[in-house]
Amino acid sequence: MKPLPSTSSKTPVKFRMPTSENLVPIRLDIEVGGQRFKDAFTWNISDPDSEVSVFAKRTQKDLKLPLAFATQIAQSIQTQQTEFRSYKGQEMLTGEKIVPIKLDLRVNRTLIKDQFLWDLNNFDSDPEEFSKTFCNDLGIEDPEVGPAVAFAIREQLYEIAIQSVATARESRNAKKGRRGEYSSISSRSTGAALDLMKLFSNRYSGVRKRKEWDVFEPMVDMLSNEEVAALESMVEKWRDLEEA
Amino acid sequence: MASLEPPAAVTPPSSKPNLLPLPSPTIITPSAAALAAVAPTTSSSSPATLSVATPLPTPSDAELVHIPSYSRWFSLDGISECEIRCLPEFFDSRSPSRNPRAYKYIRDSIIKQFRRNPSSKITFTEVRKTLAADVISIRRVFDFLDAWGLINYSPAALSKPLKWEEKDSKTSQHAADSPAGPSSDSTPPVRETTKWLCGSCKSVCSIACFASDKCDLTLCARCFVRGNYRVGLSSSDFRRVEISDEMKTDWTEKETMQLLEAVMHYGDDWKKVAQHVGGRSEKDCITHFIKLPMGEKLAGSAEFGSGINKLNQMKDDNSSNSSSSGKRLCLSPLADASNPIMAQAAFLSALAGTAVAEAAAQAAVTAVSKVGHGEANAHFRSLHGVQGLQNASITSNGSNKLKSSEEARSGVNTMPEEKVNVEEELRTVAMVQMKHIQEKIIHFEEIDSQIDKEWKQMEQMRDILFYDQLNLLKHERSIRKTGQQAAEGTRAG
Repeated sequence: MKPLPSTSSKTPVKFRMPTSENLVPIRLDIEVGGQRFKDAFTWNISDPDSEVSVFAKRTQKDLKLPLAFATQIAQSIQTQQTEFRSYKGQEMLTGEKIVPIKLDLRVNRTLIKDQFLWDLNNFDSDPEEFSKTFCNDLGIEDPEVGPAVAFAIREQLYEIAIQSVATARESRNAKKGRRGEYSSISSRSTGAALDLMKLFSNRYSGVRKRKEWDVFEPMVDMLSNEEVAALESMVEKWRDLEEA
Repeated sequence: MASLEPPAAVTPPSSKPNLLPLPSPTIITPSAAALAAVAPTTSSSSPATLSVATPLPTPSDAELVHIPSYSRWFSLDGISECEIRCLPEFFDSRSPSRNPRAYKYIRDSIIKQFRRNPSSKITFTEVRKTLAADVISIRRVFDFLDAWGLINYSPAALSKPLKWEEKDSKTSQHAADSPAGPSSDSTPPVRETTKWLCGSCKSVCSIACFASDKCDLTLCARCFVRGNYRVGLSSSDFRRVEISDEMKTDWTEKETMQLLEAVMHYGDDWKKVAQHVGGRSEKDCITHFIKLPMGEKLAGSAEFGSGINKLNQMKDDNSSNSSSSGKRLCLSPLADASNPIMAQAAFLSALAGTAVAEAAAQAAVTAVSKVGHGEANAHFRSLHGVQGLQNASITSNGSNKLKSSEEARSGVNTMPEEKVNVEEELRTVAMVQMKHIQEKIIHFEEIDSQIDKEWKQMEQMRDILFYDQLNLLKHERSIRKTGQQAAEGTRAG
């Protein structure tokens, strides 16, 4: 058990995913000649770059997509990779960072809504394990749900990590003497964590209030085929509206 | 509580599993197959403790799963040495997410997914969508299982040799149709199974022999070197014919089939190929494979490495191989990569056409031999002058002739030397022309300077003339003056 650092420790740490392995969430959304391909998976950033083209070709072949997809997929992966790597050298703030993670996703016919707290400081955390246990405990039979859950968690962690890089930068600037506006921004982003600590510190027990139970309970719903079709058509309409 | 029965004949993992001819599948016990029917909950619950409480299925429920005999070591219970060897990154604790437990999870889920529907092939993308792990690890495990026939080992996979056979018939047809001379000519000599007997010493030629088309003579290497042929022949008339071990022990159809199967299966791993074929060394396999007429097609499909450069001419990867079945490059037999000049010469001759190339070669040969003879004649004459003896001259003539013929022979060694000579001749001609022009220029310059001189002389003479005229005028005036003075003097006096 890692000893918890003091609440005021703001020692910056090199940027990385706050999980046991530096796995990056990659999201693909490619449209070529009327065919749309959406996908999301985790990628190991320490794997050699040659894997990108191999993977792209494999995916394109397996799904029998036209050839143009392979290059697009490879490009997209590479851009996201480089984006991740661009954050690499920078620092991010750790400290008391318990953040709420929300799940709100639909995989094939399963609808999942959940909310829970995640410790950003714990670099041994493993979203994959979490999703495996999640699916087992809730008796989800669709095997595609697990990876989707893990991916969603990872994505949110990634976003938060990026934000913490920004706050680290800002706090560095603030230390240089530019107080005022910046300090309020930094306090806002870490506000969530701080509030929670305040929440806990006021109580004699760590148990949640009863009225909050509903919020934090996972909800899994199986949709029927018609509902799925309806949802998808709605999403399409929204997308067309956006693009128009 | 029922424990898992191990599948039939789990042999202790040896260093390299013996490779028997492919289609002899073994049958996994039904309990392993039954796992596929059970929901994925069992896989994740306590992988450390390997006893899973599954009820033994009745034989009627169970399905049979086929895996090839060389994957007998596999068991869902644990991880065997073979897997540790092939996928070391999971077991060397270099990265925290790649550990044996993760590997087992990925492997078991892939296999279960496949076994749910064993008659259809499972693709990598289907698998990775359902696994919560990073896609590269999944891909590696998938490839490993695919290579060992633990997944996607179905009758569809076994039909691959048939597809190859179709390709074979197609290419042999194409070879028959193709009008290009060299390629079709190259096939018969390779496939010939005649034993070569030396014409002079009557021994069986083993390594290499020399055949002369001019007078249909075959000599073994030793006789050729010694020069044991008739007077009319020269060494240039002989063509070298390679006889490797392949000729001694011909490749039967069965062996060829085995070779091709093995190459398709193992690609670049010639050791395994040699093992599979049985009785052939790696070198034999490689050489025979190269010599096969559709070798380049399979080279493309088997992801052949860099060793054979000329076969890379039409290659892509596996996917495009089927689409490019129409194309087929014709190799010229002389395109020997070891001698780049020969390769160029062969290429040029292929471009120009055989008749033209032949004529050019003949002309070059005769030209060089003439040069050789010319030199020999000069040599002969000088010798004659020096020695002045008839006998000596005859002998020297004889030796000269021999020398000249040897010179001609050596001079006429290969085509590229002709080319070099021709180039040199051209160079000397150009030099001579340049010298000619230079001399002309010099000549004109001389004339120019001469003209200048004469012009100067002319000017000088003109000056002198002018000066003389001036003097004359002066003189005249002075004389007139004195005359006038004298006339005035006489008048006054």
